[in-house]
Amino acid sequence: MKLLILACVCFIISSSLAGQETQFGKVSQTELEEQFYPLDSTAPAAFLFKKRATFLRYFSDEGFKVVTHIHHRIKIYDQDGFKYGTKVIPLYQNSSSKEKLIGLKATSYALKNGKIEKSKLTKSGQFYTELSKSWNQKSFTMPNLKIGSVIEYKYELRSPFISNIDEFVFQHDIPVKRIIASMNAPEYFNFRINTKGFVKVEPQIELSQGATIIDHKPDRSSNNSITKGGVSKSFYTNSATLYTSILTKYKLEDVPALKEEPYVSGIRNYRSGVSYELSYTDFPDSGRKNYSTDWKTVVKRIYENSNFGPELKKTDYFEDDIDRLITGIKEPEKKISAIYGFLKSKVKWNEVLGKYTRDGVKKAYKLGSGNIAEINLMLTSMLRYAGLEANPVLVSTRANGIPLFPTRTGYNYVVSHVQLDKSSILLDASDLYSEPNVLPFRTYNWEGRIVKKDGNSETISLYSDLQSSTRIYVNTELSETGIINGKIRFRYDNHAAVAFRKQYFETNEEDYLNKLESEFGQIEIDDFEVKNAELMGNSPIVTYAYVLEDGTDLAANKLYFAPLSFLKKNQNPFTLEQREFPVDFGYPFTESIVSSIALPEGYRVQNLPESSTIVLPDEIGSFEYLISNTKNTIQLKVTTKMNNAVVAPIYYQSLKEYYKKMIEKMNEKVVLSKV
Amino acid sequence: MRTFFPLSFLLFSVFVFSQNSNYQSLILDKVLTENANAVVRLDYMDIQLASHKSMKYTVHQVVTVLNKQGRQHARTHVRYDKESKIQRIEAFVYDRTGKEIDHFKKKDFNDVSAADGFSLYVDDRALQLRYTPVQYPYTMEFKYEVETTDTAFFPPWYFLSGYMISTEKSHYAITYGSDDIKPEIKKHNLEDLDITETETPGKIVFETKNIPAVKAESLSPSFRKIAPRLSVRLKKFNLKGQEATVNNWKDFGIWMDRALLKDRAVLNEATVQKAKDLVKNVTDDLEKAKIIYQYVQDNTRYISVQIGIGGWKPISAIDVDRVKYGDCKGLSNYTHALLKAVDVASYYTVIQAGSQKVDFDPDFAAMQGNHAILAIPYNDQYYWIDCTSQTHPFGFVGDFTDDRKALVVTPEGGKIVKTVAYLNEQNYQKTKAEYSLSAEGNIAAEIDITTKGIQYDNRFFLERKTKDDVLKHYKRYWDNINNLNIKKYTFENDRDKVVFKEKVAIEASNYASKSGDRILFSVNALNKNSYVPDRYRNRKQDFEIQRGFLDEDEFKVSLPEGYDIEALPSPKREESDFGVYECKLEYDSATNSVAYSRSLLIKKGAYTKEQYKLYRSFRKKVASADNAQVVLIKTKP
Repeated sequence: MKLLILACVCFIISSSLAGQETQFGKVSQTELEEQFYPLDSTAPAAFLFKKRATFLRYFSDEGFKVVTHIHHRIKIYDQDGFKYGTKVIPLYQNSSSKEKLIGLKATSYALKNGKIEKSKLTKSGQFYTELSKSWNQKSFTMPNLKIGSVIEYKYELRSPFISNIDEFVFQHDIPVKRIIASMNAPEYFNFRINTKGFVKVEPQIELSQGATIIDHKPDRSSNNSITKGGVSKSFYTNSATLYTSILTKYKLEDVPALKEEPYVSGIRNYRSGVSYELSYTDFPDSGRKNYSTDWKTVVKRIYENSNFGPELKKTDYFEDDIDRLITGIKEPEKKISAIYGFLKSKVKWNEVLGKYTRDGVKKAYKLGSGNIAEINLMLTSMLRYAGLEANPVLVSTRANGIPLFPTRTGYNYVVSHVQLDKSSILLDASDLYSEPNVLPFRTYNWEGRIVKKDGNSETISLYSDLQSSTRIYVNTELSETGIINGKIRFRYDNHAAVAFRKQYFETNEEDYLNKLESEFGQIEIDDFEVKNAELMGNSPIVTYAYVLEDGTDLAANKLYFAPLSFLKKNQNPFTLEQREFPVDFGYPFTESIVSSIALPEGYRVQNLPESSTIVLPDEIGSFEYLISNTKNTIQLKVTTKMNNAVVAPIYYQSLKEYYKKMIEKMNEKVVLSKV
Repeated sequence: MRTFFPLSFLLFSVFVFSQNSNYQSLILDKVLTENANAVVRLDYMDIQLASHKSMKYTVHQVVTVLNKQGRQHARTHVRYDKESKIQRIEAFVYDRTGKEIDHFKKKDFNDVSAADGFSLYVDDRALQLRYTPVQYPYTMEFKYEVETTDTAFFPPWYFLSGYMISTEKSHYAITYGSDDIKPEIKKHNLEDLDITETETPGKIVFETKNIPAVKAESLSPSFRKIAPRLSVRLKKFNLKGQEATVNNWKDFGIWMDRALLKDRAVLNEATVQKAKDLVKNVTDDLEKAKIIYQYVQDNTRYISVQIGIGGWKPISAIDVDRVKYGDCKGLSNYTHALLKAVDVASYYTVIQAGSQKVDFDPDFAAMQGNHAILAIPYNDQYYWIDCTSQTHPFGFVGDFTDDRKALVVTPEGGKIVKTVAYLNEQNYQKTKAEYSLSAEGNIAAEIDITTKGIQYDNRFFLERKTKDDVLKHYKRYWDNINNLNIKKYTFENDRDKVVFKEKVAIEASNYASKSGDRILFSVNALNKNSYVPDRYRNRKQDFEIQRGFLDEDEFKVSLPEGYDIEALPSPKREESDFGVYECKLEYDSATNSVAYSRSLLIKKGAYTKEQYKLYRSFRKKVASADNAQVVLIKTKP
């Protein structure tokens, strides 16, 4: 049966926009004379105009492509702005198709003796590099840049990967004066549109009739799955019909620069922009084809992808090993721990992320290395094979942003979930030091999605309920000369254990000690001992003896010292006056220090800091400082608790004040005087 | 002789590629594993030099990686370009028992751009493999063969390839077709090693075994300085089609001038006139040079593009003049051309840039260096300018190219000249401040900081930073002060004298800590130096202080009313081979203030490993004195 398919050419759109837009080449004297960006005088450069028009267009022998016209005009205010005079455009390719850049035109403008001097970009300033199998790169650098220059470039990008439309980015690290963006597609393409960021974006939608060519597709057999690698490419013959085209326009003015702040999980999450994800196509004669619409469809499509569901079903490659491993083990928890431990030592992560397998679980198992999907899908199917109710969980890593809307590309990672009678466990076997319910830091990003065997899914919070815990016991002796000799014991649990193991195993012991010694303000360490470092599931315990020579001030028969000694915090991590983004600690934590200080003979306590408690509102966190003394000793108990993994910006001032007070308290001194 | 050559090569390659050792790593000699992250089991290079423009080298490396840090030592890529072709390439991975667990053939390697991370474009490429270790230790065997027409960069030899890596067996052989192309070899740091050197007609072989790893320690000299290695050069060589015959640096400079620089410094008439106009009415050459340098700084920018011989030959001054950008070579040559247009002499200079000082070897003329600058001769001395910087003052190159031997290409040929040095008290900082302490423990201060030399280099960039960045800088710089609030700052950059002045007003609440009736605070609030070098239980290496510096501080601290001084730190003077520290405090009851003065001189020098402990103890004393507390107590009513 012959299939009818429609294709469109949408020139009408760009011409309808043309009336209101900045014309290429018409750079004004005023723009060149401007000394600084009026709304942000510190900006090294600014987009004066940023236009992007993206539309779907049919090419007679290649099928549909995403065509994007770019036109940028950038003003350079100082030398730091010169870097915007160089542009690098990555171009994706797979074995059969590639993205192409055509029609590049660029000019730089500068004022010379009050006159506009134009310099065109020539071939010598353009470069094309074949970076790797999947990526090429077009780059160019503008000639004749001066402080005050305006540069302008335009080009067209053609991409055969129609289900991957680059995000419309509305906010940059420099301000943008004016943005015009548009997306135009025939009614047969349906997109899910996701808007994010703090800048308000209101699209205008226009419908118009498109000039069309009808093509006959000879065969339906090539029912391609469209991913970043899959391209819909068929052969068509011509005829004609009418269709409606949907044009979405975005206009923004005066978008401020996006500035980095500390403790933000992925600034991308907050950058304003709009992304288009193909949810379904619905051509008159071929019916509806879904890509993603709601969570159910998204998950189903991921599940059906040959690099996900089918990989999860394979078991033959590990059956013998797992049979041997779990013979005689009955308790589900023990089975989990046996399989989890086995897989961690058997297959190592090759540092490639992904929710889809790359070489496949079998090959990864054989080679002993694989990507995230290979490892954690393998883990899930091993657990299932052992009779447990295990399911994969789709995750978006911190760097990838928060998946607020149903999208396939929103997820880039997968972990494993096991449902037990009364509890459930999240597992990630890609990280050597992770433990059940203690995942690598990169995965702590809002919610994940459990994919059930029947293709249904539900959300699960990724933020851990488990508190990261560090417990410290210190016994010290203070000498008359102010030297502190002490013995210390650290016990790490949950995330703290993961963090400790990472640090400890990734350097050799000597370097680790050197780091500790300088980090802790020049203590000298002896008798260093670590227990349970390699025994996963057990809390690592570190003990050592130390000498601190100048933790004390000696004057006029008095000794002054902060009783927390080198364990006190000295700096408030929050120095900014204001904050727009949440503070993201990743997980809740507790740190407790119990300390006993033996005083030198002949000295007595003249002054002791007061015990006190500082709390954050709404039980977000608390700090407790309890101190007491007897004749010869001081007893101290300090507990810091942060109960929330993420603290909303409305609490920022409280949090800053809380840390300030905590640090002050920690730095208060005991005064001893000679009897 | 000549006819013998191909045959000997054949024998060699058969020997290499059929060798089938067992690279188990269960049992390794302790001599090799101590302080090592990796053990080079075999490092083999066989170079066949047929002529000055035809060379082939066969490499066979076997590296046992003991832990994650050692991973970088197992080679995973080989570079190539238009002149050099990778003939064969193959890699194997073995587990700890020596069993083969992976095998990469040529087709398994990825062909990638050898991008360096800062160039906009490079045309060099590399074959690269991606391997994830599944266990440690593992052993990577890497074999390849490269044929090239370029002989300018003759492969040098390192018997030890870095800190924290040992060598079990090292073999370096050069076979040369005839005596007139016999390479010249210079040995470095081989005194304590047992190295067999065999020379037969047409062939030189170096072999050694079991070199233990050297631990990386802080303040160690750069590895190159202590590495047992050979540098090798050909008198007659070829660089991408440019042939050279070079006996010494003089010849080398003549060749560079002829082959790489000649005709590059031509400008069009309009630009020549423009340059002349710029210096109209100026007679002094140095003044002219300053004006031209300023013009270049104002009108060009640095963009690195490396294509073919362009990696060594500057793009022409005409091209730079047109596009107003270039790399270090292009911009240096462009400035040279502009200076020529106004009859000021300047010499193109090749140098090894970086904060570690690396000298060109005066007795060994061979291609080297990674940067180009200009030397301007004036009154029997050289003024150095780096044309890639749009901000450095004339004649000031900072710690990127200071105090090292470089090749200056003069009309009389090449000369090895040492660039300007910034040492000890030349790297100066003066901090003058008045601050007041309140009864609540808050401080408010007005501070003047003046910097010169390398300290200027570390500071003058602030002038161009955004407010956010400047605030961040001060919050980092005064990280000993919590709750710091920068109220105001202004800068003054005297580019002529190379002096940078900062005027800053700050406030901070709760700087002092309270304890009952007492207030305690560290009097050195504004230039506290708490650096103490790492402790080594058993220091193995000598150490270096590359530049040295001098800090002088004068603070006047007004104390709150209603408090008496309970304790004042005593004055200190610490003198050592490494420098001098001094601090003094005086209480003035008339103004109820403390005058604090302090100076710290750290001296450049090369010191022995035995002295390290003393240096550490000196810095500890400094850190401790800088932390000394003033204690105030509430006046008894």
